[in-house]
Amino acid sequence: MAVVSKRPIVIGLEVHIQLNTDTKLFCSCSTDYIGHTPNSNTCPICLAVPGTLPLLNDCAVELGSRMGLGLHGEIQRYSNFHRKNYFYPDLAKAYQITQYGLTISDGGYLDIESEGKPRRVRIHHLHLEEDAGKLVHPTADGRLTGAAYSLVDYNRGGVPLSEIVSEPDMSSPAEARDYVIRLRQLARYLDVSDGEMESGSLRVDANISLTNPDGSLGTRVEIKNMNSLKSLERALEYEISRQNKVLDSGGRIIQETRLWDDAEEVTRSMRNKETASDYRYYPEMDLAPIVITDDQIEAFKRSMPELPWEKRERFEKSFGLAYEEIAILTERKELARYYEDTVEAGAPPARAANWVRMEVLRALNELGQDITDCKVKPSALAELVKKVESKEISSTIGKEVLDVLARENITLEDAIKRTGASVGRITSESLDALIDKILGGNPDVVDTIKSGQDKKGGKLKFLQGLIMKESKGQADPREASETLAKKLEGLC
Amino acid sequence: MEIHELTAKETAKAIKDKKFSAVEAVRSSMARISKYDGVVNALITVLEEDALRRAGEIDALIARGEDPGPLAGVPYIVKDNFCTRGVRTTCSSHILENWKPTYNASPVNYMNAAGAILMAKSNLDEFAMGSSTENSIIGPTKNPRDLGRVPGGSSGGSAAAVASGYVPLALGTDTGGSVRQPAAFCGIQGIKPSYGEVSRYGIIAYCSALDQVSPLARSVEDLALAMEILARPDPNDTTCDGYARPKFSDATAMKDLKGCRIGVFAGFEASEMDSDLYGALTRAGDICREAGAVIEPIDLPIAVKYGVATYYVTALADASSKLGCYDGIRYGTHIEGATLADMYANTRTSSFSEEVRRRIILGACLLTEGFYQNYYGPALKVRTKMAEEFEDVFSKYDAYLLPTTPSLPYPLGTKETDPNRMYLGDVFTVPISLGGLPGLSLSMGFNSANLPLSVQIVGSRYGDSKVLGIAAALERLIGRPTVCDPRKLGEVA
Repeated sequence: MAVVSKRPIVIGLEVHIQLNTDTKLFCSCSTDYIGHTPNSNTCPICLAVPGTLPLLNDCAVELGSRMGLGLHGEIQRYSNFHRKNYFYPDLAKAYQITQYGLTISDGGYLDIESEGKPRRVRIHHLHLEEDAGKLVHPTADGRLTGAAYSLVDYNRGGVPLSEIVSEPDMSSPAEARDYVIRLRQLARYLDVSDGEMESGSLRVDANISLTNPDGSLGTRVEIKNMNSLKSLERALEYEISRQNKVLDSGGRIIQETRLWDDAEEVTRSMRNKETASDYRYYPEMDLAPIVITDDQIEAFKRSMPELPWEKRERFEKSFGLAYEEIAILTERKELARYYEDTVEAGAPPARAANWVRMEVLRALNELGQDITDCKVKPSALAELVKKVESKEISSTIGKEVLDVLARENITLEDAIKRTGASVGRITSESLDALIDKILGGNPDVVDTIKSGQDKKGGKLKFLQGLIMKESKGQADPREASETLAKKLEGLC
Repeated sequence: MEIHELTAKETAKAIKDKKFSAVEAVRSSMARISKYDGVVNALITVLEEDALRRAGEIDALIARGEDPGPLAGVPYIVKDNFCTRGVRTTCSSHILENWKPTYNASPVNYMNAAGAILMAKSNLDEFAMGSSTENSIIGPTKNPRDLGRVPGGSSGGSAAAVASGYVPLALGTDTGGSVRQPAAFCGIQGIKPSYGEVSRYGIIAYCSALDQVSPLARSVEDLALAMEILARPDPNDTTCDGYARPKFSDATAMKDLKGCRIGVFAGFEASEMDSDLYGALTRAGDICREAGAVIEPIDLPIAVKYGVATYYVTALADASSKLGCYDGIRYGTHIEGATLADMYANTRTSSFSEEVRRRIILGACLLTEGFYQNYYGPALKVRTKMAEEFEDVFSKYDAYLLPTTPSLPYPLGTKETDPNRMYLGDVFTVPISLGGLPGLSLSMGFNSANLPLSVQIVGSRYGDSKVLGIAAALERLIGRPTVCDPRKLGEVA
C-alpha cells in the first residue's frame, strides 16, 4: 500500500541481528536459548558474578566483519567496547557491553529495489553488542501491568548481536520493508544470522520524521516493538498519518520513543526527550580493544561467498533468465544452489528455472517444507525435466512424478512407475489404436463434431483430453491432435 | 630467628629442608593471629582448619620427596576482595556480607599451586575505596607500629598482617595507592606491578582500568618471588598481557647501581610534605648515588598537579558502572521494596556505606551528558599528557624516586570526616597508577618517633624488574623491615 503524505517522509532503521555463533559474546554459554529452563543457560560471566571478566568471542568478530564487508563498510583495524549503563533486572551487570564511537565496521551501503525502483541506502555503521535477558510477568496476558512480581531469565543475556544503523535514506514504509528484506537476505547469504523476525533474531527500530515545508528535517520519532515486516510497515504508516494529522492541526511533533501495539495497531508514547535515559557511556576496561589486522581482513574477504547481487548478475548472464525469475531463484542461496545443481545435472536453464520456481516451490509449500528439506534431488529433477523436454513423458505426468518424489525417498524410475506411466513414450501404433477405441466409444461426440456443431471446439478438446487421460499422459499432445484430426477427417 | 620472623623465601627453604614443618609454620601463624588480631583487627575470616589440612598435604609431599613449589608451606593472606571458592568474600561490605564465591581468583590459584597456604582474608576499606581501612563492616584495622594510627588502605589488613608477623607474604590490590600507601604506613615493602602484569580474574573490581593485584612482604626478594608466581598471562583476563615475563628474582641479585640513571622527584616545596618523609627521599637518593647511580632532580608537573583530580574522575566513573551489578537480584543482600526502584534503592542504600555511595553517585554524575564533556573527557586528555610526561622521563632515566605518601600514618578517625583531605594523600601514588607504571614502596626505617618512613621507586611500563633490582640494592644498604609486636607508641619504651 502506498502511503500518501504531502510532507516528504524520512526513515532510518536500526536493525539488530543475532549472530550465528555457537556461544555467547563474552562467555562459553550456548546461544541456543529458546525453550530452555529459565537460567539454565548461564554462567558466572553472564550472570555478572563479582570478579568475573568478559572474554570476547572471536567468531562474533568475524561474523560482524563479514556483515560489514557485505554492506561495503570499512572494517576498522582498531575498535573497542563501551559500557551502556542502565538499571533493569534483565541486565545483570547494570550495563550492556556495546560498541560506541569506534565500531567494527564504518560506513557502507545497501542497494535495494522497492516498487520497481532501485535505491541506495547508506549505512552509518555496524557494531557488536550483547543481548539482555528477559523478564517474565506472571499475568494472564504476560504484561507487567498488574503483576505482583516478575521473574528474570538470563538465558538470552550475552547473546551476540550486531546492530546495523542506516542513514535516513528511506522515504516510504515499503522501502523500509524492502531494506529489511535485503538486509536479511544478505545476513543469510553470509551465514551471519538466520534473520528470523518471529523468533527475535532480527529486530528493527525505526526513526521517522516528516520534512518541513522549508525543506528542513522534521522532529524525529523512534518506534520500537515491531516484530514482523508487516508490523514494521503498519507502524510506519500509522506514524506518518499521525504526524501529518498533528502538523495539519497546527501541532508540533515531539522527540520521543513510541511503542507499536500490534493488537491495537497504534503507536504509543514510551518516553520523551526529557525522560530519555542517559546511558553514561564508559569505555569497557575489562576487555582489550578489538584489533583486526590487514591479513585478517583479507582472509575475511576471501571467505566471502557470492553475494545476492553478484549471483543475480551471474544468473542473468549465464542463464539468460528474466529479472522476476532471478529474483525468486536467488532470494535464498539454498534455492539458488538447488537451481544451479539442477542445471549442472543437465537440465536446460530456462526449463529448470520454471520447474524450480513453479513446481518445486509449490510442492514444498504444500508439504510445509523448506528447500533444505526437499526430497527431490537436483539430479532427479534434471532427469525429469529432460524427460518432459524430450516428450518421453508429458508435463502433466512430470508434475505428478515430482509430487511423488517430493513425498517419498524413491528413485525417479520408481516414481514414474508409481504414476502408472510406462517408461517411454506411447508408440504411434498404440496411439492409433487408442484413438480408434475412444472414437468408437463416443459416437455422439463424433457425430456432433462431424455435423459441424462443435463451433467452439469444446467437443474436440474433450476428445483430446480423453486421449491424454487414457494414455496416462504418455501421448505426445501434438501427435495426438494431429492423428485425431486426421481420423475425424477420414470419417467425414 | 623464630618462624614468624622469616621471609617467605626463608620459610619455604626451611620447610623443604625439614627444619620445621608446614604444619608448624601454620601453627606459628595462628599463634600470632590469636595473640594480636583481637587488637589489630586485620582479618575478616581466618581459615585455620583449611590451612592446617593443606599444611599436612604439603608436609606429606615433602616426606615423599616431592617439591610442593617455590612457596612450599608458606602461609599467606589475601585481601577480602579476592574470590575464594567456598569462602566468604565480603569486600568489607554489607552487600556481600554472606557471599561465597564458587571459584578462586586466578592469583589465589597461582599462589596455592606454588605451595603457599591461605591463612586468612584481610580487612579493607569497603570495595577498596579508601586510604585508611577504617570503612569496613568489621571496623577499622589498626597500625601495628602504633595502634593509635591507621594502617593505610585500602589493603590495610594485608599490610598490618605482614608487619605483625602473621604471615611473611600477603596480597592486596592497588588502584591508586592501596598497597603502596599501607606498605609505607606499616613499614614494609609493597609493589604495584605494571597494569597488565597480573590477572584480575576473580578480583572484585573497584576500577577495571587501574586495579592491579599487588604483593606485600618484608623483603624485596619476597616481592620478586611473588611476582614470579603472579605475573603471567591468563586466558580468563584479556587485559592481562600475554608477553613472556622476565625472571623477576634474577633482578634482585643486582649488587650495586652502577650505570643506573635515577631521577629524584623535586617538583615540590619541602614544606608541602612531612619533613621526615622528605628526608627519607633525599637519603634514598644519596644512597643510590653512593651505590653508583647517577642521580638528577626531576619534575612531573602534570602528574602532580592533575593526578588526583584525573584519578578520581577515572576511578569513580568506572566504579559507578562496575558496582551496578549489586542489585540484590542474583547474589548478595536483597531488601524488598514496593516497586522495582524501591527494591534497588532499599538494597543499595542500606548495604553500601556512605563513602561507597558518594563515589557511585559522583561517578554516575561525571558520566552524564554535560559533565562527561567537562570532566571525563578532559581527564582522558590529561591522562594522555601525563603518559607523554612519563615517557619523556623514561627516555632519560631508568627509574625515579618520589615519596609514597606526603604524610606519616595519621591517628585513627582523623581523616574519615574529610574525604577531600584523604584523597590528597594519594598525590604521589595515583599518577603512577594512571600511567600503568610499576611502583614499589620501600621501607626507609623509622623517624625519631618510631613511625615508619618510606620512599617510592617507579619504573617504566613493564620495567618491574628494574624497580625490583633498584629496591633490592637499596634494601641491602638500608636493611629490611622486621616484624613488630603490635603496640601503642608511648606504651612501650
